[in-house]
Amino acid sequence: MTCKGCKVHIPKPRRGWKAGRGTKQFSSWMALITLCSAQAYFILARPHSAQAMTLSLQDSQDKPKPDSQAPAASSGYVGIEACKTCHEDLYDSYEKSPHFKTTLDTRRGPSHQGCEGCHGPGAQHVDNPGDPTKIFSFKTASAKVVNDRCMSCHESGKEQMNFSRSVHSHNNVSCLDCHSSHHAKEAEFLLVKAQPELCYTCHLQQKPQFAMPFHHRVNEGLVSCSDCHNPHGTVSDKQLRTSAAQDAVCFKCHTEKRGPFVFEHETVKIEGCQSCHTPHGSPNPHMLKVSNVNLLCLSCHTTSFANAPGAPSFHNQAAQYQACTLCHSQIHGSNFDKDFFK
Amino acid sequence: MIFGNSRRSKGNNEVAAAAARRAGGMQKIVASVAASLWITLMGLGMAGRANGQAPGQTQTPPPSTTQTQANNESRAKIWGDYDVQQSAEVGYRDSMIGGNLNNYNTFENLATGWRLFDYTVSMRSIDHKGLFFDNLTFSNFGYGGDPNDVSRLRVQKNKIYDFRALFRRDKNIWNYNLLGNPLNPSSSNPAIPVVSSPQALDLTRKMQDYDLTLLPESRVRFRLGFTHNINNGPAAGTVEGGTEPLLSDKLIYTSNAYRMGVDYRGIPRTTLSFDEFLIYSKVDTSANLTSFPYQLSNGTPVNLGLLFNTVGNTPCAAPITNAGTTPPMANANCNGYLAYGLFQNPRSSFPTEHFSFQSAYFKNLSMVGSVGYASGNDTLTDLSETINAWTSRTAARGSTLGGPTQAKRVTVNADWSGDYHITDKMSINDEFSYNNWRIPSMWATVGTQLFATPPSAPGQAGLLLPISTVTTATFPTVCPTAPYNGPGCPQHTSSSLADVTNELVQQFLGQNIRENTIELQYDFTRKISARIGYFFRARTIADFSSTADVSEIYLPGGASGNAGNDFLAARADCAKVGGVLPAACSLNAATGAITEVGIDAGSDAARNLTEIHEHALLVGVSARPTSQLRFNADLLFGSNDNSFTRISPRQLQSYKVHGTYTPTPWASIDMAADIHENRDNVSMVNNLEHGRTFSFVTTLSPNARLWVDFGYHFMDIFMQTEICFADTGSTIFTAPCPVPAATGPLGTLALYTSRDHYAYGDVMWKPYKRVTALLGYSGSIVRGNATMLNKLQPTGPLDFNYLRPFVSLEVLLYKGVSYKTAWNYYGYNDQGVANPAGLAPLPLQDFNGSNVTFSLKYSF
Repeated sequence: MTCKGCKVHIPKPRRGWKAGRGTKQFSSWMALITLCSAQAYFILARPHSAQAMTLSLQDSQDKPKPDSQAPAASSGYVGIEACKTCHEDLYDSYEKSPHFKTTLDTRRGPSHQGCEGCHGPGAQHVDNPGDPTKIFSFKTASAKVVNDRCMSCHESGKEQMNFSRSVHSHNNVSCLDCHSSHHAKEAEFLLVKAQPELCYTCHLQQKPQFAMPFHHRVNEGLVSCSDCHNPHGTVSDKQLRTSAAQDAVCFKCHTEKRGPFVFEHETVKIEGCQSCHTPHGSPNPHMLKVSNVNLLCLSCHTTSFANAPGAPSFHNQAAQYQACTLCHSQIHGSNFDKDFFK
Repeated sequence: MIFGNSRRSKGNNEVAAAAARRAGGMQKIVASVAASLWITLMGLGMAGRANGQAPGQTQTPPPSTTQTQANNESRAKIWGDYDVQQSAEVGYRDSMIGGNLNNYNTFENLATGWRLFDYTVSMRSIDHKGLFFDNLTFSNFGYGGDPNDVSRLRVQKNKIYDFRALFRRDKNIWNYNLLGNPLNPSSSNPAIPVVSSPQALDLTRKMQDYDLTLLPESRVRFRLGFTHNINNGPAAGTVEGGTEPLLSDKLIYTSNAYRMGVDYRGIPRTTLSFDEFLIYSKVDTSANLTSFPYQLSNGTPVNLGLLFNTVGNTPCAAPITNAGTTPPMANANCNGYLAYGLFQNPRSSFPTEHFSFQSAYFKNLSMVGSVGYASGNDTLTDLSETINAWTSRTAARGSTLGGPTQAKRVTVNADWSGDYHITDKMSINDEFSYNNWRIPSMWATVGTQLFATPPSAPGQAGLLLPISTVTTATFPTVCPTAPYNGPGCPQHTSSSLADVTNELVQQFLGQNIRENTIELQYDFTRKISARIGYFFRARTIADFSSTADVSEIYLPGGASGNAGNDFLAARADCAKVGGVLPAACSLNAATGAITEVGIDAGSDAARNLTEIHEHALLVGVSARPTSQLRFNADLLFGSNDNSFTRISPRQLQSYKVHGTYTPTPWASIDMAADIHENRDNVSMVNNLEHGRTFSFVTTLSPNARLWVDFGYHFMDIFMQTEICFADTGSTIFTAPCPVPAATGPLGTLALYTSRDHYAYGDVMWKPYKRVTALLGYSGSIVRGNATMLNKLQPTGPLDFNYLRPFVSLEVLLYKGVSYKTAWNYYGYNDQGVANPAGLAPLPLQDFNGSNVTFSLKYSF
């Protein structure tokens, strides 16, 4: 039940409470009702005994079994209105954020609701507002602790389920390095900056690549870093996304190159597109690794071996064969030409 | 701020009042959504009109890309139960670019015209109890003719649904004339430079993504999704056959992906998911010859191709017999095309089943894993290629090609990852993945080579010769006796291919990957941690190629025919060896034709297997010794026992180091080094590659009125490989190829280097509350070197300066109304050799000019 005057969540006593604890909690519950009815919210919220609040608001039988990474569920939840009393600016930002919906979800109890869903029980903090150790602060916590807190709710998301094996996690990159619950600049995903500038913050080396004449249109806003990479981790190297069938992410846009083809350019499927292309950007046309097509082709097709036939001896570089793709235009694969002609 | 404290203090009264306003507010909401859609549709309409713009028309980037700092106040309105914010920015871009507009359009493609630079609307339910949704955001940019148009929509109803839609349209003008350029020499007669790219592309890609999550907070959650991608556009391409005619291509690539999934979260801290995917793709392409710049003596239009090197007999020694006619008259004995047509419409489907789980059920252990199976199928039933041409080497006057193809792709994959916290400070992480895919494919070919009849009139030759219409059935009647050179008989050379080809082509490619990574991480302190790990991957690659001649028929006939070569029926695969036909070939003495049946030489008898074992040591350090300093390092040292290609590494090293120093909250200094070294330095390959990037970035924001950001990056790319090649005209390359069994007689250590100095700087200044000025610059100065095998090759992208300064000014005129103007300069200038001696001169790649943008932004 909720005391509507104060909006303080008051767990309903349940049958089967054991003598002793149950009696104590029931007494506290009655005390709270009394206080609440007397419009004594601020007395409750500020200088009164934290112990009383702890006892009054706690109903361990009404909550899921706590675990090590969830906010401590043993005691001391005061509810969101108590937090708002002092932190109205933070409440404002919180109320507009997606996290507010936790307030509406009473199914899992106060340890998953409102401010205390992330910051833990607030009773001791209310009792000692000047002591920062009485409430969990994300500012001072280590990346691992922060991530564990966030993941306790978000780990079930399809985007975040691989976070534990992500490079970001292994490098102690905190969720708060990219997201901010209260001070997000981007409403979408509560990002502290918009992509790609957010990603450039750490991945400095990518910025000059996307400034090359030939590049994927990331700076232009058409493509975002997270279209190809999942910052929360994937099965693949470089946190690259793949299709469910493990196809390279490139084929989502470049669908015509997915195949399968009768005649595959084996390197495309075995070693990937980056064998010939620099995916972020390049000074070379088609984002090729080198400036001359023939130089790139001859790197592999110099001599015949199992995986690459040698270029025929009549391919005279002094004549018209300087760009192999002039003839071998279907270089990614063909259904009817083993030499990848038209 | 969407609403301030004053409204907040209204508390519950506002919530109550919201209910009263809801009825009237709904009308405004409906009107707002309708207005949003109208604006978007107008934008789409403008985009549609822009499709008709002539190539080369210019424009400026949207102010968003100039990183101007918005000076617009958010002005919220309460409509019913919703807090509504909208803003629209509309303006005009004037583009004044000179130089190579093909290149400008390839790089930037921002043209003159009216644009919808930005339109956003956000609606948020004040009491979180909206009737149809609690939150709605809708944003758009680029409509009206810009090359990138994007719309995003997100609608949420807490606990009920979460819907996202994304529409993207991008226009790709591709006309960089150096790639694929045959580099016709100036010594050719005539000397005809190829000034436009022979691989031009004018592609419009439209991508739509829709995702709906139902009951997102429930124990059972449902996900539905749909993606529709369509790439559409004309292109230019070439086809090989004696010469290279430029074809007009039509491309339509369509892909529809359907997704359905369900998550079950009934077990504590555990999610079980099942997803079904179906991707259906279709490729519709056709290519035709539409350009005929020459004519034959009988007036027949002819295309002699792009290659004009008459010294090298391309398309022939003297291609033009009379330059005074319109169009010029061509030599009928040249390689040339009278007609070309190609149609192919492959269809593919990829159903995929995917089960995944994530669990932190057990104390200190988190796990994630998945299993998937996919079986794709690509079929092509309407392949048709018809050629009407003359190829002097084979004496072919054309060909037809067809036959159904089928390629499958079967994938089985599984992965598991476990992260176990041994103690508070120590954890161990293990990741295993298995991926096995295979592509079996086949093609039942139906092909014919068309040959000319003997001349039926004086001087008739080459392209003027009529095509023989005989079939295998009519051949005995039309050409009853040796030497089969009568009227109507097909005439061959010793290089001619089979007249009729029926083959069964079988191909196989597959890879089996097993990999495992184990890492131990230790937190020395709360601020310093390190990890060490070992990566192992085993790959088994299998390929197979076989061609079975079901029935290849070689008809006799030709000027050089004699009894010894069975009047030229014994040619190509059936050429006699030691005076004897190969075993697969049999002569029909009655007709003189030879039939080949059997497995082609060079076919694989069994799958070829390549085994590669990869090992790597992984080391990482992460430290935040003080609140001002942050440091990360990732190192990798790898070794492989084999390589799939000559440029696949056997040894690889990676060093990534990044440090951030924040002396004050308003200043930060970042430095990073990113070094990758790859080597396949075995004998006769000698492949070395590296990519090294060093970065320095500083951001200063001492107050809200001044913000400075500048950085410098140095990127060094290097690649070397031993290559062999043929180059009859070279005076530079004389060293013989050192690689055994190489197909080219000359050899060299091919080099490619590229060094990029990239610098940028932005200054944002607000001299007054209502005025925001932004001044910025970014520029890439690239210098490089590459082994030039063809002395006519321009250095092109090896050496260039690409400079882009910009200025913008934004003034808040009135509440919610601001005026913005921006100036962007684009300067791309080649710094290398643009036209080497001996090359028929090509246009420069350079373009220089400005785009000026004027826009009004209204927030309401």
